[in-house]
Amino acid sequence: MRAFEYAAARTPADAFARTTPRTAYLAGGTTLVDLMKLGVVEPDAVIDINGLGLRGIRLDRDGLRVGALERMSDVAEHPVVAAEFPVVAQALQASASPQIRNMASIGGNLLQRTRCGYFRDVATACNKRQPGSGCPAQTGANRGHAVFGTSASCVATHASDLAVALVALDARVELAGPAGRREVPLADFYRLPGDSPQVENDLRPGELVTAVAVPRLAFARRSTYLKVRDRQSYEFALVSVAAALDVRNGTVRDVRLAVGGVGTRPWRLPLAEQALRGKRLTEATARQAVEAGTADARPLAFNAFKPALLRRTAVRTLLALGG
Amino acid sequence: MTDQTSPARTPQRLDEVITGGIGTSPLRPDGTLKVRGEFAYSSDLWADGMLWGATLRSPHPYARILSVDTGPALAHPGVSAVLTHQDVPGENIYGLKTADTPALAEDVVRYKGEPVALVAADHPETARRALEKIVVAYEVLEPVTDPERAAHDDTLPALHPGGNVVRYQPIVQGDPDAVADVVVSDVYTLGMQDQAFLGPESGLAIPDEDGGVDLFLATQWLHVDQRQTARALGLPLEKVRFTMSGVGGAFGGREDLSMQIHCCMLALHTGRPVKMVYGREESFYGHVHRHPAKMYYEHGATKDGKLVYIKARMYFDGGAYASKTPVVVSNATSLGTGPYEVPNVRIEGWGLYTNNPPCGAMRGLGAVQPAYAYESQMDKLAKALDMDPVLLRQINAVSEGSTLHTGQVLDSPAPVAELLERLKRLPMPLENRTAPADVRDLPGGISNTTHGEGVVRGVGYSVIIKNVSYAEGADDYSTARVRLEVIGGEPVAMVHTAAAEVGQGLVTVQQQIARTELAVERVNIHPNDTNVGDAGSSSASRQTYVTGGAVKNACEAVRDVLFAKAARRFGERPADLSLVGGKVVSSTTGVIADIADVLGDDVIEETREYHHLRTYELDPVTGQSPRVHVQHAYSAHRAVVDVDTELGLVKVVRLDCAQDVGKAVNPDAVVAQIQGGSTQGLGLAVMEEIQVEGGHIRNPSFTDYLIPTIMDTPPMTIDVIERADPNSPYGVRGVGEPPTISATPAIVNAIRNATGLDLTHTPVGPEHICGPAFARA
Repeated sequence: MRAFEYAAARTPADAFARTTPRTAYLAGGTTLVDLMKLGVVEPDAVIDINGLGLRGIRLDRDGLRVGALERMSDVAEHPVVAAEFPVVAQALQASASPQIRNMASIGGNLLQRTRCGYFRDVATACNKRQPGSGCPAQTGANRGHAVFGTSASCVATHASDLAVALVALDARVELAGPAGRREVPLADFYRLPGDSPQVENDLRPGELVTAVAVPRLAFARRSTYLKVRDRQSYEFALVSVAAALDVRNGTVRDVRLAVGGVGTRPWRLPLAEQALRGKRLTEATARQAVEAGTADARPLAFNAFKPALLRRTAVRTLLALGG
Repeated sequence: MTDQTSPARTPQRLDEVITGGIGTSPLRPDGTLKVRGEFAYSSDLWADGMLWGATLRSPHPYARILSVDTGPALAHPGVSAVLTHQDVPGENIYGLKTADTPALAEDVVRYKGEPVALVAADHPETARRALEKIVVAYEVLEPVTDPERAAHDDTLPALHPGGNVVRYQPIVQGDPDAVADVVVSDVYTLGMQDQAFLGPESGLAIPDEDGGVDLFLATQWLHVDQRQTARALGLPLEKVRFTMSGVGGAFGGREDLSMQIHCCMLALHTGRPVKMVYGREESFYGHVHRHPAKMYYEHGATKDGKLVYIKARMYFDGGAYASKTPVVVSNATSLGTGPYEVPNVRIEGWGLYTNNPPCGAMRGLGAVQPAYAYESQMDKLAKALDMDPVLLRQINAVSEGSTLHTGQVLDSPAPVAELLERLKRLPMPLENRTAPADVRDLPGGISNTTHGEGVVRGVGYSVIIKNVSYAEGADDYSTARVRLEVIGGEPVAMVHTAAAEVGQGLVTVQQQIARTELAVERVNIHPNDTNVGDAGSSSASRQTYVTGGAVKNACEAVRDVLFAKAARRFGERPADLSLVGGKVVSSTTGVIADIADVLGDDVIEETREYHHLRTYELDPVTGQSPRVHVQHAYSAHRAVVDVDTELGLVKVVRLDCAQDVGKAVNPDAVVAQIQGGSTQGLGLAVMEEIQVEGGHIRNPSFTDYLIPTIMDTPPMTIDVIERADPNSPYGVRGVGEPPTISATPAIVNAIRNATGLDLTHTPVGPEHICGPAFARA
């Protein structure tokens, strides 16, 4: 690990004053410290933001608001989250291990870096880690990689389960930085890799995620998260599906559908949602909608199974919710 | 050893009074410390004023070294030494079976991760930073990565002077061109498995004023480490003294050298104690793995299901250096029919050099790979014959007196058919498909993927054969020194061996044997070191057999001395005496004295070896041998799985095992070994695989290399039967490896039973289960 300075920020202003392009914010540390040990991220200074408050899990007229420093396990186990937004609680419970969930913050979870083996191996090229160096995952060990949103520069998946659930629910992230506060839809917060995969989100220099806001959505009570993975616990998604369904008398009034383990960012399926609205929910309509919504999947050499596995998982999720 | 150092001794609290002889399950002497987190492992070693060693490793699978500049690293503040191959004092070559591995690379590197240079510094981080300042110029070469090609393609570069074939072994029995009514064949591949021990490679070397060195370390075999290290250091054996520290698991991965030579070189060079500890990623590159294999199998049978012939060709990727590859080839070929009588056999095995990570010992050495293939074939044959797969196995099963395809006659019980019968009679678990099912019991578990949709149950069986102890003419022995004396008024035995406690419970077993043979309660285990004779390795399921035999022999020798003293003093005949509950008892006059009274101030100490029966090499052309293996062990599994056939997820519902252990010296430890082995086999069936791409490991972490969690581990019924081997001490039969071998094919057979798929690769993932259906979609 490279030598670095450490400072604990007392206030947001204190944190912003300390930032430079060579600093990193530290919350739970489960991603940052890991990547620092590997030499993937080498900040000159680490600014500990755990003293900034940024806590609280509140449900009000506008919806759910979760402070960015809440720990994954606290949010997952919160009774209001579990009752009103089960997809969020389930996505968190299906993430990582109990130890990591006890440490990792919500804001950090949304900003976690990809698990792509080339990104983590400093001896190999990676456009995300070292812009312009190349992307060996295009033809290499890419069983776990993305089929949506890929580019010639990057095919790494976004690793967060929580982000998939939040994107399905139209969540927004609250940001604060030296230039003030703002709020961005989470779906727009993440960027496609394009030819600059090192830029993963909309954060401006020095900006922090301060909270996540999930708008009120009555039918979010009828939501769920399914995750297909190679081990029953402590493993990233091969494919995952977050869905919420408003179905009355067998007809779909509204639906939210987002998928994980397959996209370079959390991947919403608007065409599938559109195709389902107003339809009776049957295996056939679910399948047609999901196929329409995933037709643009572009598999790689070793993840050719993913589009079909995703479709089956999505149909399964919809039918489980609709049944 | 200097005064300011406080070198660790074997960090075990071995003086708790625990009673229990053989056939009982006393507490482990190291158990309390381990459960409390107080046990000192080798990574906890410490000496005042010590330096930290670190290793510069090749980033390339195959490259020529053009130059190494250590100057900038040596100039780095805090650095005490930077060493290369030029600093290896003795011969820069070692190896378990074949000396082909340089301690530090000279003009070429043959795998990614090969050690090139060493640093000693005042802090581990300083050492790592200094590594980055060593400048190595490489000419990168095209790596050899396909083992099957390496066997047959002479146009590939020869990675070693003798070419790329480490060993080729054919075994031919009967008519190699026999024909049969029903024939099944397939090509099976098995991925590279990691031992996944939790305690990383580590050691502490302390230079001595006599020019020698003491190394405290975690290993499976002290003496073979000592011999290889002494040769590289150019020192006589007595100046290279090894002491066992706490071992955090092994499973074969500690049989080859890792930091031993390096740590001693740095200590001798600097004159200071030096500690080395690998991180997890370095550990993936710093130890050998299980050989991946490609196996072509063809079975022929009569329409009644009697095996007529087996033809097989197997390729084992040994990676850059030989390690245990020659033994993998002999085990795989000599055990490659499975525990079946087959009149006509032609099996060929190749072990190859490539530029992939080196492969060597791992639990079930060379028997895991063919067992996956031949037990897949037996199910395929049963399907072709429309026959019960258990019955097919039973009518072909070997039994005592059977002749194997090597010509060896099985000279002790071989209850193969019985093991299967016992499993078949176990009750079947209920199917978990009535709502509301507990998702934890379903495929995907807490991942919430099914509540019963798409789930199909499958049942699979397997039975396997494994050799126990060293084979092919190796003089396999162990040494024990047993001391009996009175301490605090009571007789106390001390057992001193070099046999490695790697978690399997050997310390407990040695105590049990001494208690049984000497009728004393207190038995202490001396730290393992090289001040006593060789014990061989904690591998090949052999330590209870061989070291157990040595402890038994030494105890008997101590007892003979004690009886002679008692006979002289009390006018008894030694032959009439026995030991019961701390007393010397005469068959004619009853209790004559306490052991403590007979001993008085005397100390009786005897050292004995145990050698098992002689074995013989396989004939290089025919593969025949009157006794290639001293003992065979058998285990059978029945796996019950629920498969989500739409999403490709597998839940192993039950994994039941029946195994003949000859004699259960410690019944609880036997069951625990079988549970652990079965789980390791489960890992190979459904998740464990080191992903190697062009010689690079793509998942060198326990986040990316998956081993089963408790959520993945099913309930197990363990049926232990005891059919004594007349040739072994107490009739014991090796326990540790067989369940690892039979678990994998039973699970894969169960998945086949549920899905109807061929499944020619293990581990089996969603893409294998759903792949064919996806292709149709």
